[in-house]
Amino acid sequence: MITLGHYLVLSVAIFTVGTIGFVVRRNLLVVLMSIELQLNAVNLALVAANRFHPASHAGQVTAFFIIAIAAAEAAVGLAIVVSFFRLRHTVRTDEADRMRH
Amino acid sequence: MSVWLALSPLLAMVATGLVAMLVDVLVRSPASDADTRGDLAIITTVGLFASAALALGLWGSGPSVALPESLGGVVAVDRFGLFFAATIGLGGGLSALIAGGYLAEHGIERGEYYPLIAFSCAGAALMAMATDLLVLFVGLETMSLAVYCLAGFRRGSRKSLEGALKYFLLGSFAAAFLLFGIALLYVLAASTRIAEISEALRGAAGSSPIAVLALVLLLTGLGFKISAVPFHMWTPDAYEGAPTPVTAFMSVVVKAAAFAALLRVLLVAFGGTALGASVGWPQIVAFFAVASMSVGNLVAIWQKNVKRMLAYSSIAHAGYVLVGVLAAWKGAPEGRAGVLFYLLSYTVMNIGAFACVAYFGRRDAEAVHTSDFAGVARQHPAAALALATFMVALTGMPPTAGFFAKLYVFRSAIDAGLWPLVVVAVLNSAVSAYYYLNLVVTMYMRSPEPGAPVAQPMRSGAIATAIVICALLVLHLGIWPSRLLSMALEAGW
Repeated sequence: MITLGHYLVLSVAIFTVGTIGFVVRRNLLVVLMSIELQLNAVNLALVAANRFHPASHAGQVTAFFIIAIAAAEAAVGLAIVVSFFRLRHTVRTDEADRMRH
Repeated sequence: MSVWLALSPLLAMVATGLVAMLVDVLVRSPASDADTRGDLAIITTVGLFASAALALGLWGSGPSVALPESLGGVVAVDRFGLFFAATIGLGGGLSALIAGGYLAEHGIERGEYYPLIAFSCAGAALMAMATDLLVLFVGLETMSLAVYCLAGFRRGSRKSLEGALKYFLLGSFAAAFLLFGIALLYVLAASTRIAEISEALRGAAGSSPIAVLALVLLLTGLGFKISAVPFHMWTPDAYEGAPTPVTAFMSVVVKAAAFAALLRVLLVAFGGTALGASVGWPQIVAFFAVASMSVGNLVAIWQKNVKRMLAYSSIAHAGYVLVGVLAAWKGAPEGRAGVLFYLLSYTVMNIGAFACVAYFGRRDAEAVHTSDFAGVARQHPAAALALATFMVALTGMPPTAGFFAKLYVFRSAIDAGLWPLVVVAVLNSAVSAYYYLNLVVTMYMRSPEPGAPVAQPMRSGAIATAIVICALLVLHLGIWPSRLLSMALEAGW
């Protein structure tokens, strides 16, 4: 029997992978993917929890909103990355060091 | 009351954005026609000021405007939300006004700037009025996505893009934490409504490990947005890199909206629960407050770049406001009123300071270092006097808004028995006097080094108007604060 606890453990695990990816990786595109991974872990938790709270659809509705917002975030993020690449010809985060004194 | 009227402050901000967008596309002729571009700044400023006025107009219709059932209780038009909507409209309008002069001078006048400011304000106001965590999150993202774009508005500048990149990455990272916190609260409460979450947390679920984890995640997410230490790493770079009007916007509007959300989440959802009692978020917030005040002020002393100095100062001010949040937690209505009054005062004095910095920035001759301001008081006495007023206000000296803002927050904290925090805060205010007044001394008493660049003001009526409005409000709040303070006291949820 799969309980809500199982889903939550999986969700926390995926979220942790995303967090570690964000902190460790230096490639901007991988960092963006790590953020997507975190958001999808949240979606998993919401949809699974809705399965166990069937009185309303709040969890699933929230997941839909998150999917839409993640798309908007990716659009803005990639635009910033493209502008950055035009100036610096790189997508590595450690090259963004102009203001480090 | 019809739902349109009740939500009119919010709708006016959205309408301003739409109108500015249409005017940009339909009315303005391409590229060459530089004169028509001031129009957009005026449209946006008027629209945002109008939404602030609408928020004040709804003030008289009772502590909370009843909304139809169809909205399902996801937003509340209460005086708390209206106070923030008015503050946000004022801050957004003033930063659009500064942009009217700044963007033209620096050759980055592109139409998308103004709709982004207006939509961002709408997101911020939605965040302040939200009583549902999903709506709060949608407001936060509407606000943030626009500000990420604005931070990187100077596309050809490495600093601007790097600031935007760091702001975007850490902002989205923090938003993911906030979301995970919301999801965990949903797991516990089967609802995203703040009221229902509060009910669920008062029961046995309130002390479960999931609730603890959710609280930590929410504090992380909102801590980034208010730039509290230890989540402040992005602040100096994003503030320095962004165009000055955007920095002004980020430091007041984004911060005010994040504090509104923080107050509602901590005091309503977690208020009266096991985690809001003696062991729980108050300890974490107290740590944030002390760390933000101390780190912000101590690092600000060493900054030579004025925008970076103001960035660290804004971290320190977040710490002072957090002291007020703790006073509000102790149940004193003066505590919450102090926070609202502080955020309003901070809005006018900080936007004024950035307006002056923008004013002293000709094209290719932006005043960035403190030394650039040496001796400007002799050539440009009026602008120097305004900047000196804002610096005095940020220090917290009478007769300015900053004095009463600090006084109310500190006094309510003492009444709530939080005197150790107040001691730290007062010591920090004394430290902050050093770097704020250093700029004043530089303007009035130093002469520029021979051959060194001296700040040249630009001729901009828009920025001058913004400075005058801010200076009048700073003095008004510092001499006759009682009316706005009593409004802040009435601003409940």
